[in-house]
Parts: sequence; C-alpha cells; structure tokens
Amino acid sequence: MTRVRQLGETLLLTLIVASVALAGGFQLNEHGASAMSQGGAFAARASDASAIYFNPAGLGFQTTGSIYLGATGIAPTISFYGPAQNNTNAETKMNSQFFTPINAYITYPVMDRLQVGVGAYNAYGLGTEWPDDWSGKNLVTKVDLKTYWFTPTLAYRLMDNLSIGVGVSYVSGTLLLKKAAPFDSRVTLDMTAHGWGFDGGIDYKATPRLTVGLTYRSKVKVDASGSAGFVPDIPVLPTGGVNATITLPATGYAGVAYKFCDALTLEADYQYIGWSSYDNLTFTFTKDGSSTSAPKNYSDTYILRVGGEYSIGWLKLRGGAYYDHTPVSDPYVDPLLPDANRYGLSAGIGLNLTDHLKIDAGYLFIHFFDRSLTNTIPATSFDGTYKSYANLFSLDLGYSL
Amino acid sequence: MKLTKPVIVALSLAITLLYGGCKNTAPNGPVAGLGGATVAKYVAVGNSLTAGYQSNGLFASAQAYSFPNLIAGQLTQAGGNVGTFQQPLYSDPGTPDAATGKASRYELISWVGPVIGPRGLTPGSPVNTALPRPYDNLGVPGAVIFDFLDSASFASKAIAPRSNPLFLLVLRDPALGKSIFQQAVALRPDLVTFWLGNNDVLGYATSGGVSPSAPTSTPIFTALYTQAIGTLRAALPNAKIVVANIPDVRSIPFFNTVGPKIAASLPAGYYLRYQMHGNTSLAFDSTRLSEPNPPLITLTGSPYASLIGHPTGKWYRDHSYPALPPGIDTTKPFGLHPQNPWPDALVLDATEQTTAGTSVQAFNTVIAGVAATNKAVVVDINGFFNAVKANGYRTSGMVFTADYISGGLFSFDGVHPSDQGSGVVANQFISAMNSSFGWSIPLVDVSALPALTVPLSKGSKVYPVIPEGAFSQLETLWGAR
Repeated sequence: MTRVRQLGETLLLTLIVASVALAGGFQLNEHGASAMSQGGAFAARASDASAIYFNPAGLGFQTTGSIYLGATGIAPTISFYGPAQNNTNAETKMNSQFFTPINAYITYPVMDRLQVGVGAYNAYGLGTEWPDDWSGKNLVTKVDLKTYWFTPTLAYRLMDNLSIGVGVSYVSGTLLLKKAAPFDSRVTLDMTAHGWGFDGGIDYKATPRLTVGLTYRSKVKVDASGSAGFVPDIPVLPTGGVNATITLPATGYAGVAYKFCDALTLEADYQYIGWSSYDNLTFTFTKDGSSTSAPKNYSDTYILRVGGEYSIGWLKLRGGAYYDHTPVSDPYVDPLLPDANRYGLSAGIGLNLTDHLKIDAGYLFIHFFDRSLTNTIPATSFDGTYKSYANLFSLDLGYSL
Repeated sequence: MKLTKPVIVALSLAITLLYGGCKNTAPNGPVAGLGGATVAKYVAVGNSLTAGYQSNGLFASAQAYSFPNLIAGQLTQAGGNVGTFQQPLYSDPGTPDAATGKASRYELISWVGPVIGPRGLTPGSPVNTALPRPYDNLGVPGAVIFDFLDSASFASKAIAPRSNPLFLLVLRDPALGKSIFQQAVALRPDLVTFWLGNNDVLGYATSGGVSPSAPTSTPIFTALYTQAIGTLRAALPNAKIVVANIPDVRSIPFFNTVGPKIAASLPAGYYLRYQMHGNTSLAFDSTRLSEPNPPLITLTGSPYASLIGHPTGKWYRDHSYPALPPGIDTTKPFGLHPQNPWPDALVLDATEQTTAGTSVQAFNTVIAGVAATNKAVVVDINGFFNAVKANGYRTSGMVFTADYISGGLFSFDGVHPSDQGSGVVANQFISAMNSSFGWSIPLVDVSALPALTVPLSKGSKVYPVIPEGAFSQLETLWGAR
C-alpha cells in the first residue's frame, strides 16, 4: 500500500511541473541525475531505475527493487536580436523562467528474471515566453507545452548476459499558446491532449567489459482539444473550441559501454529522433471550421553522446558531453521554438550513503550555436539571430531494497 | 548525510560561476546611423496621405501615425536631430464635413451590415495654432501638384470652387510663406519628402470618371512637376529630396470591395447593367462583374448595392436631380434593366480604368525623370502597392492585403492608410533613403502600431454600407480645382 501511495504522490508532483525545450525541437532528455551527469550516454548500461526511460531492458540486470526519484532544474537564457526586416539588431530577452521537470521510477523484481516497474517523466515539453509587446507578438508571446508520461514496464533476463524490456506509455499533456491576433486582439489557446505509445529495448553484455544497448520509443500521436479565447472578442474571430493533432516523434538509442577497469566505465550513444513526423502544426476551430496551419517541416536528426563514471569507494565522479543536431532548417525557425545546434557539457557525483540509499547530483551546461536567419518563410518573416544557453541542475535520490 | 554539505557548497559555487560567467552578446548587425550626415530639419510636402488623413477625416490620433511623423521618430533613433515634428493637429474626432457641420470621420456604426460612417459627433478643433513658424508636416489634404508653388490666398481655396478649408489649417498665415513651397523652404530643411500628384488622378477615379471628368493632362502635369521639383532643388541645393510616385488607383480597396460582393450576390444569369463613361442616358454594358478586368464599383456605391433588382430612383433623389435623365425609367429593376442602370458615378468602367491607368503611368514616368534630373530619390510606392495587391505583404508574422479593412493597410475610407498602413508606407521611404544615402535608419515596428479593430470577414456576401453623403467631404477635396 505504501508503494501505491508513493506512486500516487509522485504522479501528482509530476502534474504540476513545467518543462522547456532543451533537446532539438521540444524533446527533453534529462530524466535522471546520473544519466544527465554523463552526457545522457546511458542506454547501454541503464543501471538504475531510470532505465524505464533510457532502456527498459536494463531493468533485467537489476536484481533488487528500487525507487529513483528526483528533479531537474532548468534555467534557460535566450535572446533574439532583430528583426532584420526592421533593419535593427535590438535585443529582446526571453522572459526569465525556471522549470523543474520531475522523474520518478519504481521497480520491483516479481521473479528471479522478471522485473516490473513504472515511470513518470516529461519526455517532451516546451516553455517559451516573450514580452507581451515585443515585435514578434504576432508569432508568439507564450507557449507552455507539458507532456506527462506514465510508463509501466516489463523486463526479462533471457540469459545471464541478455535482457529485453518493453513498456507502454500513456501520455497526457497540456498546451497553452498565446499570441497577438488580428484587430489588436489577443488569443489564448488552452488545450489538453492524450495519446499512447510504446517502447522496447535490448541490453547485451557481450563480454564482461562490453555492454551494448538498443532502445526504441515509438512516436505518439496526441489528439489535443480545448478552447480558443480572444480578448477582446470580435464577432469574426473563431472563439470557442479548437482541435489539433501533434505527433511527438519516435526516438531510439544505440549505446556501447566499456568497462576499462572495475572503477572506470565509459559509454558512447547515438540517439536518433524522428522529427520528420512534425511537418506542420494545424489548429482547427470548431466555430467556423476554419483552421490555421504553420508548416514546420522538421527533419530526422541525431544526438551524439559520450560519458562515463569513475568510482572511488562510495563516491562516483561522472562527466560527459553531447552534440545535438537541430531538426529545423533556417526558413522554419521561429520564436515559438528558437532551435539551434548545441552541445552540452556535464559533470556530477554519486554518493552511496548507505547500502540502500544513494544520492546523485548533476550539472549540465548547454550552449546553443548562434542561429542567424536571413530567409524565414513568408508566414514568419522574422529574421535575426537567436543566442541561447542553459544551466541545468539535477538531483535524484535512490533507494534500493 | 554530513557528506551532502560539501556537495551543496561545491554545486552552489559551480552554479554561481557558470551562471554569472555566461552572457549573450549582440551579434554583428545593423547599427543605426546616418553615415555622418546631419539631419536637423525634416519637412514633409504632400496631400492627405502625408497629412495623416484617415477614415475620411483629419484627427490628432491618426496624425500621430502620419508617415512623416513616424519617419521623424525613426530619424531621431538614427541620430538625426529633428526635434519634435510639428503638425497641424486637429483634436479628435477631427475635421467637420462642410455639409453637415459634424465630424466627417468614419467609425463603426453597427455590426449589422456592418454600417460604417460618420457618427454625427461634434468636430474637434485645431490645437497647434500658436507655432510661430511653418509646420514640419505641410501635407494639405486635397492638394494637387499645382498647389505646391501656387501663392493664391489660402482663404480663397476655402471657398468655391475648391471649398477646401484645410489649406488655411495647414498653411495658416501668408506671413509664414505664401505657398507650400515658400513655407517648406523657410524651414531650411536637410531632408524633404515630396508626395504630390495622387489627387491629379484620384478624384477622377473615385468619382467614377465623372467629377472631374478627366485627370490632369499629362503635358500640364509634366510642366507643373518639373517646375515644382526644379524650384525646390534650386532653393535647397544641398538638401536630400525624396519623392514618391503615384500608386495605381485600381490597387486600393475603394475600388475592389463592393463589386465582388455584388457579383457574389447576383443570381445566376443576371448581369449588372451600368452606365458607360460620359454617357448619362442609355448606354449600358452586360459585363459579368466576376470576369477578369471587371468594371470597378466604387465604395460610394455601397448604400445602393442592396437596391439592385428593386424598382428605385433613390440615387437620383439623393443627388437632387430636378428630373430623371432622358431614357431612365425607375420603375424598372435597378442595376439589372438597361433603362435603370447602375449610375456612371459609381463605377470605373474599362475605358475609365484605362484613362486613370494611363495617367498614373505617364505621371510616374515624369516623376522618375524629373527626380533623376534633380538628384532626388524616388520611392516606388506604385510598385509596392501593386505587389501588395498581387501577393499581400508579410512581416513579423503579420499578413497585410489590399482588402478593405480586413487587409489591415487601409482605413475605413478605403483610400487612406490605417495607422499600420502608414508604418508600412514610412518603411518604404526609409528603405529608399537607407539604400540611396548609405544611411541605416531602423524601420518602424509595424506590429507596435494600432491595428484596425473592426474586421470584416473575407468572402462573406455582406458588404459594408457606408451611408449616402458620407463621402461628400472627400469628393469635395478631390473634385474641384
């Protein structure tokens, strides 16, 4: 019963967090302090309960039940310089925001080779907020997309060195979008969304030193519906119901970990993200059946990750780096989501406080390459330069039986 | 748990260092400036478009967004030292209609229709009359190219046949200068924008080719324009002079709003029968309005469009005809029967369109030539508005079109720009100056200007109804000279 209550509380906590776009597009990849400390290269080892996200098969090698619970604090700093259309280089700072997505995982070995678990996390999210009267207000003033993933997972150790895992995700989300509308009106779209997805993984300890992991997480089509409110409300504007379908892309990991000695393990991962499923964003208004569609034309993309862990008794030192390639080509970049190529540098520590209790803390610095635009599509017509960086802090508490 | 304390300290330190150590710095980009030039005085010469006339009236809250006032603000941002740009402000709701004595400004009267027109408000009054020098904005609504050098008394233009009191409002006292030219030169400007000539063809077109019955002739326009710019250049040998050409009148919503609505509402097989140019008796044509190059129905036709098909002589009564013209039978269905046709004054037919278009083209050729001779820069407003009519205009997520009201660029009278439209026009001037003079003036942020707050849905069969008589003030300004 205690465990059930804990799970309930965890879900509640998750419901009140927000998140920001940190990976390409509006993906989030920070789902555990240990993984984040190591550049997110974790799919081969998947050695704690966050395996539910990184590679469900990793649970098959975990012989005890555990709880892994924590949060990531995200502080992005984003500036826009322009618009070039107005022959200006003036800076507009995105409103200062702080996000705290939470991750919670519970696992339990029901049989010798069979682990079950459930995870709650935010795999996609976006938080953009520009000043109300900035020159891009007709494009966006605020976006707040949150997705909550609840993923029951099953892992089975087929052989002593081979494990497989599968999960099913129920995805619930909210989307808030604000911008200026024609005739000096302001529109707020307030929507909720639901969808289902699945994932699967394989973890193979090829030799005592070498581990290989593969993970696939399906795309999730979420149907969103809610209300469109205009202030002031003008008769010709489509106040009332609004619908949209958003596809959260599939993602996959291929990871290789190598244990150089008992104390040192390094891992390299290739992460694939099927962003080409995000080709447009269309809102349909029920009042008059009209719709507004923005072409996005994202491309499939990748992230390269390396990281590792060095153990000194009860202390673990971690570090890592990654390079994240933007899925958005220049013409389609807009202030809704000022995407860019970026790299991340991370470091962190783990402390085994007792035989059962451990604490992981991590820090990640993300630097975005300058995104200079000279040819945004006509519907955007908003050229200029975006500069961004972000600081992330992550803390997780682990308890194993 | 003791161990967590040093961890927290170390993390806090890292946070402080990294958080404080990173800052976004401005990339290379345009730097506002005038390339070392001094601009201490800017004067705008023109007509209603320069004055900031909007929605059939001159009023302070629109004058604040006149394109010259917007340019003056941007010049200051670029290091110009033009001070407060002085305008002949007229307090809201603005100038009166001579016929009614009430403010002529159009507003939304009713959503049903919708009905747009004057609200019958008590007019405002001039508020900047004590300025002991000419205004920086010398745009006089109704001015034609002839008026620039003309030193006839301003008061005489207030009475018939001109009946235009606005010369007196803008130019005030002959002691400040006896003509627009004299007052402009008295200010010793470094920069002059000059946009005249529109009214030399606009009045012809908006009156359906009736009053006046022809645009200013090309030879006369050529002589007047050559003299105007030549005299200005001689008086200001070192000033930057920027002239704008004349937009094709057919690109404005005044001509493109009512016709398509009528075409959409006519039953299949019915044609609009309208009077041909200059023929007040029986000539008519059966062109389908929706076909290519249709006759253009004026916005002044809006109160009559709902009468199509009814046996009515309302137009003749409204215009105080002592008797019906020969051959007209108002017991026949209005607009559908050859004996009760849509009146000539409410349509720019193919012949009239050609006349207006030919004049615009000829005038613009003259403007380009005269500008080149006098080292003046040309702003191709005609090219810009033709492009807007064809493709719309987009910037910063906004979409503008040449549609009436919903297009966002034009005010309620379908001729004069809205606040945002003025910003777009100002940006055409600024872009031309930047590229010709090597300046880098930031453009007006159009998204920061007020938008029209009364939309009309596109494609609906509903057309705006502007009450009969509401345009009389404009017609007076354009008609007589």
